[in-house]
Amino acid sequence: MKTRHIIPAALFASALLSTLLCPGAHGQSFPSGKPSQSTAKLEAVQYLYPEQVTLPAGKTSPVALHFRIEPGFHINSHAPKDDFFIPTVFSIPADAGVKLETASYPPGADFVLPADPDTKLSVYTGNFTIQARLTAEPGDHLVNAKLRYQACDRTACMPPKTITVPIDIVGK
Amino acid sequence: MRGARSIRLKRNSFVLFVTLFVLAVFAWAGWANYEYRKQAAEKVLAAASHAQLIAAGSSDDGMPPSPLLGKPAPEFALQDLTGKKVSLSSYKGKALLINFWATWCGPCKLETPWIVQLRDQYAAQGFEVIGIDSEGDDLPDSDKPGLAKQKTAVADFVQQEHMQYPVLLGGDNLAQPYGGLEAMPTSFYVDRKGTVVAAQMGISSKDDMEAKIRKIVGAGQ
Repeated sequence: MKTRHIIPAALFASALLSTLLCPGAHGQSFPSGKPSQSTAKLEAVQYLYPEQVTLPAGKTSPVALHFRIEPGFHINSHAPKDDFFIPTVFSIPADAGVKLETASYPPGADFVLPADPDTKLSVYTGNFTIQARLTAEPGDHLVNAKLRYQACDRTACMPPKTITVPIDIVGK
Repeated sequence: MRGARSIRLKRNSFVLFVTLFVLAVFAWAGWANYEYRKQAAEKVLAAASHAQLIAAGSSDDGMPPSPLLGKPAPEFALQDLTGKKVSLSSYKGKALLINFWATWCGPCKLETPWIVQLRDQYAAQGFEVIGIDSEGDDLPDSDKPGLAKQKTAVADFVQQEHMQYPVLLGGDNLAQPYGGLEAMPTSFYVDRKGTVVAAQMGISSKDDMEAKIRKIVGAGQ
């Protein structure tokens, strides 16, 4: 290819590439400063990472799953002290191509409501990690795992919620 | 001839190298821009959603007042634990506390004994309480054990907390007319004329509840 042909081709290619890699300017839209109500209501607990893991196929392997709770809120631990309270539970659907063998939850921290200093609750606040042991079938599995929790602040509680925890799990 | 070709080859190689370098810079700049915008958007979303999630509040503590204040309490007819239908209209002329609660709600469990005591204390003055269970659960219909456990939990809670006042089921159906019911407990204080005089989302204190009850017991007389 002649040099004079290379330069325009390169400029065209670079312009195309930068366009594709700059979704903020063209393709994918980002949330504006004022998120929708429904989006905001989903945020009491957020899944942080990993987004993708590679595991030896057929062999049970540990995976640490990291979550974040919004400041000012707490959720019940996996073992709340009151039978009426809803525990935090991680699960994976049966047909996901990945089996959840065990999930090990962190111990809850003692928490006291200002209006009831005598009662200690077992909760998670801030960041917490669930240690899962997974067995993946060979192949690439986009797993929509679930985390069920129930969040409160110091005076009120929100209804229990089940959020999707998307993880791309590759069994090799 | 061979020399000229060699020079042309070198020049082409140089141009190709420069082109690839430019492409790499563009790609890096595009990716960096994408990451920057993504992080900025996440920060904005996190800040905004935190503000949205502050659930507790009442009409008199700086939070937005309930849209029902000063308006007639929306009518309803729900079943109690025995299956009997109870309607709001049957409480005409009473000073009424409509208390939305849920079994999984710690603050609800905390304020329920206060409500039981205050009801006994002010019953002679025409004060009554309606407790409305509002589980707001996202259990799918297929989760039969989960739903059965929930129903049992309501009855157990009522018994354990000695709730002698009417407790109705299906409060989730009233979320829209009662302003969303986004957090529990949520209470509405209704005067004898049926007007919502005060509202409270989240727990306050027994004294605060009593002050509001005094207001509705005295109002409209």
